[in-house]
Amino acid sequence: MTVTIYLSNDTSAKATGADRLAAAWTEVPDVRIVRTSSRGAFFLEPLVERDGPRGRLLWPQAKPDDLRRIRTGAGGIAVADVPFLAQQQRAIFARFGTAQPLSLEEFRTQGGCRGWERANGLPPEVIIAEIRTSGLRGRGGAAFPVWYKWDAARQHRADQKYVIANADEGDAGTYCDRMIMEGEPFRLIEGMLICAKAIGADRGYVYCRWEYPAAAATMQAAIAEAEHAGWLTIDQRPFHLEVFRGAGSYVCGEETALLSSLEGGRGMVKVRPPYPAEAGLYGKPTVVSNVLTFATVPEIMARGSEWHAALGTEGSKGLIALQLGGRIRQPGLVEIPFGATLGEVLERFGGGMAEGSRFKAVQVGGPLGSLFPESQLNIPLCFDRFNEAGAVLGHGGIVVFDHETDMVELARHYMTFTADESCGKCTPCRIGSVRARELLERIERLNGTRDDLALLADLGSTMKATSLCAHGGRAPYPVLTAIEHFGDDFDRRLSGKNAKRGS
Amino acid sequence: MSPSDTAALQSVLEQHRPEPGRPANILRTLLAVQQVLGHVPVNAIGSVAEALQVPESHVAGVLSYYPDLHAAPRGRRIVRVCVGEACVANRSCDVLAECQAFLDIGIGETTKDGGTTLERVYCLGNCGVGPTVMIDETIYGRVCPSDMEKMLRQADDRRV
Repeated sequence: MTVTIYLSNDTSAKATGADRLAAAWTEVPDVRIVRTSSRGAFFLEPLVERDGPRGRLLWPQAKPDDLRRIRTGAGGIAVADVPFLAQQQRAIFARFGTAQPLSLEEFRTQGGCRGWERANGLPPEVIIAEIRTSGLRGRGGAAFPVWYKWDAARQHRADQKYVIANADEGDAGTYCDRMIMEGEPFRLIEGMLICAKAIGADRGYVYCRWEYPAAAATMQAAIAEAEHAGWLTIDQRPFHLEVFRGAGSYVCGEETALLSSLEGGRGMVKVRPPYPAEAGLYGKPTVVSNVLTFATVPEIMARGSEWHAALGTEGSKGLIALQLGGRIRQPGLVEIPFGATLGEVLERFGGGMAEGSRFKAVQVGGPLGSLFPESQLNIPLCFDRFNEAGAVLGHGGIVVFDHETDMVELARHYMTFTADESCGKCTPCRIGSVRARELLERIERLNGTRDDLALLADLGSTMKATSLCAHGGRAPYPVLTAIEHFGDDFDRRLSGKNAKRGS
Repeated sequence: MSPSDTAALQSVLEQHRPEPGRPANILRTLLAVQQVLGHVPVNAIGSVAEALQVPESHVAGVLSYYPDLHAAPRGRRIVRVCVGEACVANRSCDVLAECQAFLDIGIGETTKDGGTTLERVYCLGNCGVGPTVMIDETIYGRVCPSDMEKMLRQADDRRV
């Protein structure tokens, strides 16, 4: 009897040997290999699944020799029994790990396209009202109400309008957009179609960062498939959708820089207003939203806005896709309602620290996010509480650092990144990031003084107040929170003594 | 540029000439040139500007702006070590140091024989299985510094 074996085709599954397993088993008689999207439980990769009596069974960190056990079913764990997955409340990622990414038929059978089918029969105003009631805020980092952008773009009369998916997922420690594009590309297309219908656009782009070759290829193939199936049609007019590749600039994740880059120029930030919804790509009304935001839209249209509005907290409706990484046992994707505390998430899903490691700090919200010490883990994961604390949820990245991390080195690393990636448009970011990096290098080389810390604080407040975009405006946060919470690491360097590893 | 490079460049530029009424796209054109030639030679700037009907300064400006557009040739093989925070937390800087020591070059440099260029990259989205290293188009996860020498030698063998 032929056994069907499911193996993820996701970049992180391949990076841990999924292709080696596929190659080893592909010639074996009575074995059929199906490559699927990823469950996002990356600590289990390479992960092999097959159908069991009650749903899928899995074999974590599988090796080629495991085929015999897998064929007999020996040692298989029921997917439903994996606490990391069972304790989540998945919606956008509910089907991840089960289907073939490029099968439009499977996508439909599993409930895809329903959001578009409903939206396609509604007037634009009603679609936008639905998004408004749902309380959906942008998932890329800025958390701007989605309906507001859509409505502004809808109201502006123009011969051409654009819908753009921001797939420049540049925040280190985040990967949910990559998972969506590699795993359920039709979901992103569906969300973009709904937006295009709502604002009256007939052209769209997926601006995909250079670092995601597999995501770009999958999106391209999915768009061709959707076009072939006649799906890319709005009100009897074709909707042109294409993938545009970036070239390694972090700032191109900022919407005005993204638009400059998409036009083929230097990806530099522009002063707003005008906002892209009025004057975006080539000066035309444009909605730019993050991949996860578009991926959430079909779910809202299919299930109704009340479903979404009933989840999460007062100011943060819906589900948050957290991406755990760093020195923990169970890195991976966690989709739960907004509002759980940072500590709860680390405890329930993180699975504790990696072997031999003790907790030191956790960073939330990418390289521009704040660092939290153990005493502050009771902060709820929602926009408002993070805002009050001067922190950001960003794109949902959570990176845990252990006791061996030297905060002076880490702070210098952050500022090196900021300086490398500054677009150079505004002085506080262009000059400030270089000066801050130099100060931190000086401290690292044991030549720093207490005045340097005062200078960093002063420079930080200038950058926060006067930078044109979040790159310069947020860059001081990880550095200043490192100084605030882990002053000992800095003191040791200032007093001329090197910070001893592990102390 | 060799005659074959010049011919390849012209063929790429033919495909990227703007259609009437549509603006030229410098970035897309330069990425296509790089795809074919391996880098964008500085003496190709004039031809690109002419084909796209834009000032040479605009082409040069775009070329110098993006970290992944290269005006000079690089190694036959590109090794990239991720220094995104999740990888850094898992000691990717030690992996990077190991690469530097083994290849005897700095970040952004190419070995004397033109074989390997070493770069750092800020996040490949492979954070769940870091530290991450990318050798040409292949992404590797859970890389230890001690794996690096073998990985680089194996990559050498594949190329031969």
